[in-house]
Amino acid sequence: MHVNKRVLKFGAVALAGAFALSACGGSEPAATNSEPADPGSLETTIKILAPSYSDSSQADWQAIIDKFNETYPDVDVELQIEGWDGFTDKVSARIQAGDYPDILNDNAFAASADAGILYPMDEVLSADTLAAIEPSLLANGVGTDGTQWAAPDIASARMMAYNVDLFEAAGIAEPPKTWAELETAAEKLVALGDDVRGYGMPLGREEAQVESSLWLWGAGGDWADGEGLKADTPEATEAFAQMKKMYEAGYTQANLEDNRVDIADLFQAGKLGMMMAHSAIVADAEAKGVNVALAPIPAKDGGDGVALGVTDFIVAFDNGDADRKAATSAFLDLMYSDEMYEGWYKGTGLLPVTTSMIDKGKAESDENGAAFLEALSIVKFLPVGNPAWDVLQTALQGSAYKVGSGDPAEVLAEIQAQVDAQS
Amino acid sequence: MSLTATPSMVRDSTRRRKRSGTHAVLTALPWLVPTLVLILGVVLYPAALMIYTSFFKYNNRGIQRGDAPVGLDNYIGTAGALTFPGVPVGRILLNTVLWVAVVVLITVVLSLALAQFLNLEFRGRKALRLFVILPWACSVVMTATVFRYGLQENVGLFNRLLVDTGILQRAQAWTKDPTSAFWVAVFVAIYVSLPFTTYTILAGLQAVPDDVREAAHVDGADGLRRYWFIVLPLLRPAIAVAALINIINVFNSLPILRLLQETPGYHTGHITTTLMFEYQRALGPGVSSALSVLNFIFCLVIIAIYLAIVQPTKEVA
Repeated sequence: MHVNKRVLKFGAVALAGAFALSACGGSEPAATNSEPADPGSLETTIKILAPSYSDSSQADWQAIIDKFNETYPDVDVELQIEGWDGFTDKVSARIQAGDYPDILNDNAFAASADAGILYPMDEVLSADTLAAIEPSLLANGVGTDGTQWAAPDIASARMMAYNVDLFEAAGIAEPPKTWAELETAAEKLVALGDDVRGYGMPLGREEAQVESSLWLWGAGGDWADGEGLKADTPEATEAFAQMKKMYEAGYTQANLEDNRVDIADLFQAGKLGMMMAHSAIVADAEAKGVNVALAPIPAKDGGDGVALGVTDFIVAFDNGDADRKAATSAFLDLMYSDEMYEGWYKGTGLLPVTTSMIDKGKAESDENGAAFLEALSIVKFLPVGNPAWDVLQTALQGSAYKVGSGDPAEVLAEIQAQVDAQS
Repeated sequence: MSLTATPSMVRDSTRRRKRSGTHAVLTALPWLVPTLVLILGVVLYPAALMIYTSFFKYNNRGIQRGDAPVGLDNYIGTAGALTFPGVPVGRILLNTVLWVAVVVLITVVLSLALAQFLNLEFRGRKALRLFVILPWACSVVMTATVFRYGLQENVGLFNRLLVDTGILQRAQAWTKDPTSAFWVAVFVAIYVSLPFTTYTILAGLQAVPDDVREAAHVDGADGLRRYWFIVLPLLRPAIAVAALINIINVFNSLPILRLLQETPGYHTGHITTTLMFEYQRALGPGVSSALSVLNFIFCLVIIAIYLAIVQPTKEVA
């Protein structure tokens, strides 16, 4: 039967893969070290699990591993790179199998920290390394118990990107600052015809939590409610009502359940006026000949607007092995060193987290790049340190798009009900 | 020696038979061990683990919370498989039945016609038989992906074809609406199930003896009657096998629906098998195992109903 055949084939490939991996593992003991120092004699294996930020991710990590092995010849570093799509599932699978990666690069840490299977960062990173990370970003890796469970390794800021040529064609002089101005601008853009959309609103699985947070903050609200998080607040209802209004007026793309990439495609094709974008989207759009400018994200009544910060994290799992911990620690300190970190973060196409690299980046980059780096010191973060956020984020990703067809208060009530059911 | 068997002789022979039975089992054992290990390792152990897991609480990262079993919480608790807020459970159960019934029924009916046709003598029959088998040779994931991209709203080729030929006014985002995506998936599932079913029935057709058909012909039965009263009853075992395998296969077929449903969350286009993966992501392995257990029972019930109605094991005279 064909099913069985497929399973068998898959099994064979997996098995072959496993053999190949273990074959790569055994490396020859290196030449005798003249000093009886620790590095040369440390003999263990550490495992890294990281997402693919770009095509070069594998090579970017490998560069650090090669450098690391110059000092630690007997430490095997097993690198596993996976796509972002379904990355959480891969992490869960490793955790469930009890095969904790020593180093995990992810965008969440609260659930693992809550379960007590992580090392606090001050046990694996040296004081110098911790001090090198921009404090406002580092604070994002602190759990609700006040412990630094994660260290940011890459940042991205979301600002409003707009298509300057479309704005000129539609006769919009200034980027909108309030929701009312945003509606007017979107209306003018849609009036241009030729399938041009005013504002991209990705409420799909990838971005719903970011998009809805930006609208919530614009309405002056916050998810935080004492210790926990609350979805069905009056501010959130107001924000969702405004999102629905934008959609129903035909200012947004046709499907609210689109992901960020779908919106970015529209924007890069010159068919979209405004979207909340990060630096990589802006750079890609510019490369495709779109004339892009940045502005703060509009809020209900204007003001300074908001910018959203997202950081991804390094977490270190507690495998109960002193050698692996020492190797992990040494590896991470090397990774955050200017020499290694510069190449690594540039490979991701996102923003750096160490103060020295942020300053260097500001001096080197163009206007738009510098604007994102400037924004890093004023950004607001999603409450990633709160274990309840995982639950709320999943609920938003699964339900936020329903605001297009449903009642805002009911959508939020459903989200809240899903969060409550799991507490 | 007398011709009547003495009691001791009977005892002897039963003992010998028993001994030879044990002996046969013992000799067969070395050849059976790999199979037994396989069944134990990849069927029984995971099934037991699944049932066990469904009685414990986990978070969505798969980390166990608390050591005590939580009873039926994962089934019908506040965050249970059947009771989680926002999940249209009734609709999803209905979808599951529809999915299996519609796909298997249409597949079998189409396959009967196709097999009948492929059983005729005509030029190029070999080539045509090869073409029919092609969808089977392609990976299901690949086929589903082709449909997904083809039906994409802005760049999809199928959409373009439908618009250019005037069948549609505007391109549709087929895979972003739960209902339309569900029926697209039904179509694709039929498409990929056809080859296997057709070939099983074709094999059955070739086993229908010519003389029986000729005899019916001589007796004056027309084509339709010959098919209905002679061929179809003889095809019963082949159809039974094809349908049963299809039921199990379609019920467990994840890639098609998973790839063709682009709507996130708990929408009205799920079947229980895809819902299980949604739960695994959002609620962790406890709840998702609970749904798996229900799924397993559900599948058994469907097969039991099928066996009761069709009675495929009943011998055809």
